Amino acid sequence: MKKLKVATVWLDGCSGCHMSLLDMDAAVISLASKIELVYGPLVDAQDFPEGVDVTLVEGAVSSQDDLNKIQKIRQRTAILVSMGDCAVTGNVPAMRNGIPVQRLLQRVYVEGAIEGKGVPTDGVPALLKQARPVREFVKVDLCLPGCPPPAKTISGVIAAVLDGRKPDTNLTVKFG
Amino acid sequence: MSQKKISIRIDGALVDAREGQTILQAAREGGKTIPTLCDLDGITPVGGCRICMVEVEGIDRALPACTSPVQEGMSVKTTTPRLTQHRRLTVELLLVERNHICAVCVSNGHCELQTMATNLGVSTVRLAYNFPKLETDLSHPKYVLDHNRCILCTRCVRVCAELEGAHVWNLFSRGINTRLTADLNGKWGDSKGCTGCGKCVQACPTGALSEKGRAVEEMVKQNERISALAQRRGAEA
Amino acid sequence: MARIQDIAAFNAARETGLEKLMPTVPRITVGMGTCGRGNGAEGLYHAFAAGIDRSGIDVVLAAVGCFGSCYCEPIVSVRLPNHPLVMLRKVGANDAGRILQDLATGNITPELVFCRIEEWDHITGHLRYGNGYPEVPLWSEVPFFKGQRKLVLRNCGFINPDDIEEYFGIGGYQALYKVLIDGRPETVIEQLKASKLRGRGGAGYLTGNKWEFMAKAKADSKYVICNADEGDPGAYMNRNEIESDPHSLLEGMIIGGYVTGATEGIIYIRAEYPLAVRKLRRAIDQAREYGMLGENIFGRGFNFNISIVEGAGAFVCGEETALIASLEGHAGRPRPRPPFPAQKGLAGKPTNINNVETWYNVAPIVTRGATWFTEIGSAKSSGTKVISLVGKVQNTGLVEMPLGTPLKTYIYDVGGGGVDGRQVKSVQTGGPSGGCIPQDMFETPVDYESLAQLGSIMGSGGMVVMDEDNCMVDVARYFIEFTHSESCGKCVPCRVGLNKSLRILNRMTEGAATPHHIELLDDLSRYIRECSLCGLGQSAPNPVLTTLRHFKNEFEDHIVARRCQAGVCEELALSPCENSCPLHMDIPRYLQLYKEGRHDDAFMAVIMDNPMPSTTGRVCQHPCESRCRRKTLDEPVNMREVHRFIGDTMLMSDRFDEVAARVVARKLEPTGRKIAIVGAGPAGLSAAFYLSILGHEVSVYDDKSEPGGMLAFALPEYRLPKSALRREIELIERVGVKFILNTRVGADVSLNELDDRFDAIFLSFGTWKEGAPLREPGTDLKGVYPALHFLSAVARGEIVELGRRVAVIGGGNAAIDSARTAIRRGAEATVIYRRERKDMPAIAEETHAAKEEGAKFNFLATPHRIIGDDQGRVKAIEVAKTRLGEFDASGRRKPVPTGEIQRIDCDSVIFAIGESVDVELAQSAGIKLSRSGTIEVNRYTLASSRAKFYAGGDVVTGASNVSGAMSYGKLAARSIDRQLMESDRWKGAMPDFQFDMTPPESQSESRRHRGRELDASLRAKSEDEVVAMLSHDETLDECERCLRCDLTVANAT
Repeated sequence: MKKLKVATVWLDGCSGCHMSLLDMDAAVISLASKIELVYGPLVDAQDFPEGVDVTLVEGAVSSQDDLNKIQKIRQRTAILVSMGDCAVTGNVPAMRNGIPVQRLLQRVYVEGAIEGKGVPTDGVPALLKQARPVREFVKVDLCLPGCPPPAKTISGVIAAVLDGRKPDTNLTVKFG
Repeated sequence: MSQKKISIRIDGALVDAREGQTILQAAREGGKTIPTLCDLDGITPVGGCRICMVEVEGIDRALPACTSPVQEGMSVKTTTPRLTQHRRLTVELLLVERNHICAVCVSNGHCELQTMATNLGVSTVRLAYNFPKLETDLSHPKYVLDHNRCILCTRCVRVCAELEGAHVWNLFSRGINTRLTADLNGKWGDSKGCTGCGKCVQACPTGALSEKGRAVEEMVKQNERISALAQRRGAEA
Repeated sequence: MARIQDIAAFNAARETGLEKLMPTVPRITVGMGTCGRGNGAEGLYHAFAAGIDRSGIDVVLAAVGCFGSCYCEPIVSVRLPNHPLVMLRKVGANDAGRILQDLATGNITPELVFCRIEEWDHITGHLRYGNGYPEVPLWSEVPFFKGQRKLVLRNCGFINPDDIEEYFGIGGYQALYKVLIDGRPETVIEQLKASKLRGRGGAGYLTGNKWEFMAKAKADSKYVICNADEGDPGAYMNRNEIESDPHSLLEGMIIGGYVTGATEGIIYIRAEYPLAVRKLRRAIDQAREYGMLGENIFGRGFNFNISIVEGAGAFVCGEETALIASLEGHAGRPRPRPPFPAQKGLAGKPTNINNVETWYNVAPIVTRGATWFTEIGSAKSSGTKVISLVGKVQNTGLVEMPLGTPLKTYIYDVGGGGVDGRQVKSVQTGGPSGGCIPQDMFETPVDYESLAQLGSIMGSGGMVVMDEDNCMVDVARYFIEFTHSESCGKCVPCRVGLNKSLRILNRMTEGAATPHHIELLDDLSRYIRECSLCGLGQSAPNPVLTTLRHFKNEFEDHIVARRCQAGVCEELALSPCENSCPLHMDIPRYLQLYKEGRHDDAFMAVIMDNPMPSTTGRVCQHPCESRCRRKTLDEPVNMREVHRFIGDTMLMSDRFDEVAARVVARKLEPTGRKIAIVGAGPAGLSAAFYLSILGHEVSVYDDKSEPGGMLAFALPEYRLPKSALRREIELIERVGVKFILNTRVGADVSLNELDDRFDAIFLSFGTWKEGAPLREPGTDLKGVYPALHFLSAVARGEIVELGRRVAVIGGGNAAIDSARTAIRRGAEATVIYRRERKDMPAIAEETHAAKEEGAKFNFLATPHRIIGDDQGRVKAIEVAKTRLGEFDASGRRKPVPTGEIQRIDCDSVIFAIGESVDVELAQSAGIKLSRSGTIEVNRYTLASSRAKFYAGGDVVTGASNVSGAMSYGKLAARSIDRQLMESDRWKGAMPDFQFDMTPPESQSESRRHRGRELDASLRAKSEDEVVAMLSHDETLDECERCLRCDLTVANAT
């Protein structure tokens, strides 16, 4: 049987959702034989591959780099899942949204720095005006709110796709 | 209040009611649940949140259960696909209006808006978030007002006026710019009228009003005690 | 003045008033409502006063209210004793002296005359002014007043609102007297119920029923309130009513107070109406002084007082519960009903609230009775309604008509139709809570139910007319912005829902929306309508829902094509000319490039926007001119002639090879894709050019012997010389297009074969089929020609037997071309058209040229029968004369036969109507057709129902014009390329120029240049081109005349 191609992506988030993903305990054993993890912080792949079945996105879209990534990922993914509050609502990364970007960088990298004061410019992607949920940029097929969403919810989605079922969009989930 | 008995149907079941009661009151006494947000049992209803909208046979438009009086023979439906759709949209609108960052909220896990979203299966919103820039009022020695979490239900306004008689809270400005305000657009801590009783905090359905010093998830509200007090007062009156 | 307590004193007051209204000396009145004052009535009044002082003539001067015809303010009335009252219009302060002089000699000033009034029905009284001045139109003959029935406005513009005695004079307070003397409140309520008077504030609740509830409510104090919180944009009838006739309001309220048992009356009026407030205060003072208010009114033991409360202008305070909250000193936030104000209103007491206009109906109903009232208006909506007619109509003002009058009467008859000949598109009724009704529904009667059926409301009676310069998405956005900022914030649907609606609409007008936003907006609007707490929220989505229902195309244009056809949404339109150009040529760009002396760049800018500038430069209908902003200064920039000049000077010169090579050099890398085009007319040629530029291999099939379609075979040489057309076609060939001529698709090669051999097929075979009119009786005679056959035969050099006299049927360009071509063959031509000259679809300049060349016109005539001689040749044509009847869906009057038949002797008849698509070809290939027999395509991709097949031009639109057809070719090329290459490569293939983006420092004073025309007498005998090219200097002048309205604030900074 062809393995399900799964990718995970880490945008502007704390990696807590990835921790929750890893937290599925024994369930990971039965899944491992059926899926192939093709991209993400957990595997070593440079470019996002074509023809991915399911992509789990953690984090809000916060920088130009995030935006470019998510648009490419959308084109190459059949089922795109917003995993966790940051991807679904903006959550903590969006708490900066009321502050102008320049003011924000000044506060963190100049006023807040003890040494090496100065806003980094090289090799750092430009921040967007606001950090916003994935859904405001590309079509999202399923949202799993939670900070983080429980491991069971995440594994449930993958299991559903493996069974050829449409993942339930009316999951009992909770923000936060 | 007139004690004339009438009977109505709620979701098909016969429910006894008294003339002058609202649909919501009759439903509660009859053991039926209608979801609410701005309502607090015992306090004057305002019909602001529109979560409790119900269908009444023979009337095209959905009606708010909290302010619509019962009428003999009326047949009420509390849950239909149309009503669920309306309620979900109401919750979505409240979620996008202000900054409800549940993960870092003192009321996480005890918030009526959060619970409402879960119960209605709202896992995302179709609308863009407003992300308004809002203040937090920390001026009161005991309590915090965080506009980011306020849904303008006015429960605090009403308990302060009706139970405490202090009239500290009111609404300022209008439309999307409406804000809860202490006295005449002042700081809560500067309010001479505030007795510090904390009824408003306990009545608040979200993390908008909370006790100082509470960390994430620690603010558990006791609005049933406020309701009980209100009902006792009502009975005395 | 002592308080009037008996009939004698009352009658005496009335007599005094009558003497003031109809004095034994001349009386002059000046309309001094807010509208009059805004137009200088105050200065005018003072000029009269000064003139009277100076000359010492014995004249009464009075300031009165507004007569309703706002479009001709300031209005003055003059009356000599025993003569009609004569209204003068647009009177300036300078005119005062002359009017006084004329009056002193017993004359009226003829140039200023508007209308005359011999007698006037004030409902409560009747004034006979006198007869005379038959040369002056009666007021009821003036189009603006025709059909108006002034019930509410009965006194407006006649009496001095500051003088209660004048109000007595026209029978004022007699209804009150009658009610108090009768002393039977219940009969008044019965009368009101029988009259079926409905609330004029908008909701239309039966006033009699409302009063009855209130009368039955038991309480120690009760209130009647007048809601004068008129806040709708575009509605001002209440303001005018109060300013012009405040006592009618007071009388209605006093009667209402007596009948319902109220102890006090309150007028809640917005503070933004200072004049109305002043008039009311004075009226209340006078009413108290004369005993109409206060203790023991008319000695009948009834005590009543009215006070004024000025509102701060919140729109939501027009909602009755919010109004009460505001009166009580709270913020204006509505509360749920029940309890209704009649049970628990102001201060918890029973309260009855009526709109200003409702109160004005009380005295007339009491005076004349319910039956009289129900005879006016429609069955369910009796009486009249005052409408404020504003927006894009010629005549604006307050219009009072019986309810049930159709919308078209307001807009076309009273309003005089669109401004500047523009098409009216829609009307918005009911203010921000109302909806937009499209032009094809103007039959709708204006009454509560009919408007509600269309998703709109009567509201307070605002009627805003909109034309093609209004963007309906922007209109929806505007009204939501209004209600959004007026929302009180109490309930979630209105507070947050409107905010989200507004944000979505903003995205749409900025071109940042996606198709799912339409659905989302629709869901949101329905939710707000159903779930909001009060009327404001419940009706706020109406403008969105109605525009979504009736103007969905415009929403899709904004989202899919990212274009605002009206040119309102800045991000979605470059400039008015570019936007109205079917090809969307960047006109300011080529004008500026040429102005900068960059002639080669200007040519490249033109040719890449429009591959056939020499053709369109001669024959385009130039819609750009109708929108050119220069028109507001003098005349539009002659953009057509400029691009013709730019095209001709390159294409027709010896630099042709060089410029052609530069165009060819712009071609993208070959893609290897093959595209077939069926039909080498303007649509096919432009598609071929662009597809070839984009690197595709293009083959164009045509059954004729040379490419060009109608351009080659239907346009006469004198309009489009073949030499110019051939150069353009040569350029298209050089770009790589192959022509396969004398090949009929469908016969010589099938569409299925094309499907096999090509990657995409574009159908653009035009409307060459001669249609229905050939079925007219007598059309099988010799000497009857379809226009296209006639024109193409001439173009081929064939000889057509016309005889001496030719009748041409039709009003389009083909008709005019046929007539002018016939004249050039030595014939006399008569053009027969069923409507009037102004309705002709032909280009106006062409019609004018035909007339100069001797063509005759027979308007308002339609062919009835052609009469032949015994050899089967045409001898004459009989036409049925028509007259213009009702307005049809196109906003023009429909021709209806008068019954008169006219005979026109002629030797041949040319039919220039009813060309249609050869549908069999499309049908045989399984391509879906529309109901009108043209090919059905997606508006944005031009894809037909069959995969790989696209269509455009006349096969899609029916017979239209050259630039329109070319625009389809251009769009098809872009769409086919995007489909084949899976990305939008268009912008990359088009040239980009840097040019001056600063606004011109001064405006060119130059007048518009026209191409010089050959003398009419010469050209009638010649095939030579009629309109000569502009010179270089003239072209430069035209470029400089451009005001550069493509520059936005963003560009300038």
